[in-house]
Amino acid sequence: MNVAITPEMVGQVVISGILSGALYAMVALGLALIFGVMRVINIAHGPFLMLGAYTTVILHQSLGLNPYLTLPASMLLLFALGVFLQRTLVFRVVDAPELSSLLLTFGVSIALVNLAQLGFTSDLRSVEYITGSWPLGPFALSKSRAIAFGVAAIVSGGAFLFLGRTRLGKAIRATSQNRDVALVCGINVPRIHLVTFGLAAALAAAGGTLLSVIVAIQPEMGQIWTFKSFLVIVLGGAGNYPGALLGGVLLGLVEQLASLFLTAQLSEAVAYVLLVLVLLVRPTGLLGGRQT
Amino acid sequence: MKALGALVAAVAVLGGGIPAGAQAPIRIGASLSLTGTYAQPGRYQHEGYKLCMKDLGAKGGLLGRKVEMVVYDDQSQPATGVRLYEKLITEDKVDAVMGPYSSAVSEAVANVTEKYKKVMVAPLAATTEIFKKGRKYAFMILSPAEIYLEGMVDIAAKRGLKTIAVVNEDTLFPKASTAGTVELAKKAGLQVVFQEAYPKGNQDFSAILTKIKASNADVLAAATYFDDAVAIARQMKELNVNPKMFGVTVGGDIPKFHELLKQTADYIYGSTQWEGVLPYPGAMEFYEAYKKEFSQEPSYHSAAGYAGCMLYAEGVKKAGTLDADRVREALLGMKLRTMFGDYQVDKDGFQVAHKMVLLQWQDGKRVVVWPDDLANGKPRFPTPPWNQR
Repeated sequence: MNVAITPEMVGQVVISGILSGALYAMVALGLALIFGVMRVINIAHGPFLMLGAYTTVILHQSLGLNPYLTLPASMLLLFALGVFLQRTLVFRVVDAPELSSLLLTFGVSIALVNLAQLGFTSDLRSVEYITGSWPLGPFALSKSRAIAFGVAAIVSGGAFLFLGRTRLGKAIRATSQNRDVALVCGINVPRIHLVTFGLAAALAAAGGTLLSVIVAIQPEMGQIWTFKSFLVIVLGGAGNYPGALLGGVLLGLVEQLASLFLTAQLSEAVAYVLLVLVLLVRPTGLLGGRQT
Repeated sequence: MKALGALVAAVAVLGGGIPAGAQAPIRIGASLSLTGTYAQPGRYQHEGYKLCMKDLGAKGGLLGRKVEMVVYDDQSQPATGVRLYEKLITEDKVDAVMGPYSSAVSEAVANVTEKYKKVMVAPLAATTEIFKKGRKYAFMILSPAEIYLEGMVDIAAKRGLKTIAVVNEDTLFPKASTAGTVELAKKAGLQVVFQEAYPKGNQDFSAILTKIKASNADVLAAATYFDDAVAIARQMKELNVNPKMFGVTVGGDIPKFHELLKQTADYIYGSTQWEGVLPYPGAMEFYEAYKKEFSQEPSYHSAAGYAGCMLYAEGVKKAGTLDADRVREALLGMKLRTMFGDYQVDKDGFQVAHKMVLLQWQDGKRVVVWPDDLANGKPRFPTPPWNQR
C-alpha cells in the first residue's frame, strides 16, 4: 500500500534532508576536529550533545529562558567539560593506539549516560517553544528545524572562520597536519588539544540545544548521534573539515530520500550501505582524508 | 435421617469454622518487573496486587483461610521470570500463582505454569497469541492488541469518513495492533490508503508523514508506544499534516503526553484499558482507596492487577477449592462486570468481553469519547487544521 511520489513530495523531503543535514554537519564537525587533531575517536560525542540538550531544557524550565538564548551557556558548559575530560583522561590516550581511545571514550560515554539517568531520570522532556511550520509555496517549512538550520550554519561558519583566520585556529590546523612540525614551530600542543576537545564538545552541545526544541529528549538520545557523526566524517573524509559539512548534508538527504522512495526501515540500512560503498571505493572519504 | 442431616451440618460448620484460624494461609506467588525496563508499570501492578490482598483479608480471606502473596523481582527479563515461577511452584510450594507484567514475560512463564497445571490469571498480557496456543490454564483480562483502535475506526465510519492511513513501530505489540486496525477498518468500509512500519527508536517521521499527507487519508492510526507518539504528533504539526482524526495506541493515555506536547496534544485520540472515571461498579471506590493507600493515582496497570487478582479469588470461591481444574472450570464459566469492566473468556481463556475505551485530549484533559455507554464527553470532530487550533 503506497502513494505515488510527486515532485512536491520530493521537494518536501529534500527540504527536510537539508535542514537536518546542517545539524548533522555541525555536530560531526566536532568529531572530525578531535579525530583530525588527536587521532582520537570520541564515542562520548553523542552524550555531549545530550548534556547540551539537558542544559537548555533545564534552563528553560527552571528560569523560563528562551531556549535559543541558552546556546552560549550550553556551549560554554560543555566546552569546560571537554577541557576537563581532556586534561584528566583523554590526554592519556592521545598517542596510544586508536583502540585505547575507543575504550576510554566508550567508558566516559556510559558514565555520562548513567549519570544523566540518575540525575534527570529516564523520563522524556521537551521544550514546547516554537512549533508548527511556515508555508513556503507548496511546502511546509518547520519553524524549529529552519531555525536550527540557520543557527547551525552560523555556528559552523564561525568555527571555520576561527580555524581559518585566527592564530589559535591556524595552530589547531597546523597540529592536525603535522604535530611534530607544529611542536617545533613553538605551538603548545597540549594546549591545542585542550582547546580542540572543548570546542568539539561545544559544537555537540550546540546540536543538543537546537535539537531539544525539535524532539523530546532523554538520556540515551546521544548514542545515535555518535554513530551518525561517525558516518558523516567517514563519508566526507575523516579529519577533513569541509568534508564533514558535505557528509552531513549528504546523510540528511540520503536518509530522507530513502525513507520516501523506500521505507523508514530501509532508510537506515541505505545510509550504512552507502558507508560501506564509500569505504570500498574511496576509503579516504569523498573529499579525501585529513588535509586542510 | 433428619437427625443425621443435622449432625452432618453441625460437623460441617465446625469443620469449616475451627480451622479458619488454625489452617495455614493460602500463598499466591508471582514475579513482577520491579526493576528494569518495565519497572514503572510493573510497580503499578504490584500495588494492585497488594490492595487486592488487603481487601481479600478484610473480607475474611479465601475459603476461610488467610491469603498472602509471595512476590519476586524478575527484572523485566522473561528468562528470570521462568526461573522464579519454577522456584515459586517447586521450592516455595505456593498454593496458587498470578501473572507477571507484560506480554513478553507472561508468554515465557506460561510454559512453567502449564507444566505444573497451575491456573494463571495474566492480568497484564494483551497479546492474543499467548492464549491461542492450546494452553489450558492461562486467563486473559485485558482487551487484545488488535482492538486498541476499534473506537476510532467506529467513530470514523459513523461520521462518514472514507480513508485511513496506518503506521506502526515494527515490534510485536504494535504489529498485532496494526493488523487488527486494518481488519476493523476494512470491515467498517474504510479504505486503507497507506500503511508503513518504522524501526523502534525512530525519531524522524518527515518522509512517512509527507507520504501520509499526499495520501490525503481522513484518518491516521498509529500503533505506537510513547516516545514515537510524541514525535509523530510534533512532526505532524511541523509538516502541516491534517487528517480529520489522529489516534495512537499507547502514549495518548498517559498524563505526560500532554505535559510534553501542551496544546499540540489537543484533539489527539488515545486508547486505554481503564480510566478512573468509567462507570464500572466500584471503579471510583477503587480509585479512592488506591490513592489513599499509595498516595498516587492508579494507572490501568494497577486496576488490571487488582481486577485480575479479585477475579481469580472469585473463581476459587465459585469452585470452593484451589484445585486447578475446578478453578479453571469456574473461570471459564464466569461472566462479570467488575471495577475494571467486563470479564468473559472463550474456551481458551482469551478475553472477549472487556472493552477498550477511546480518549480524546480536550483542553488538556482526557475525555472518554467511546463507546457511547461509557463516554463522559463527545468527540470534537473533525480535528481542525493546525493553523486553526
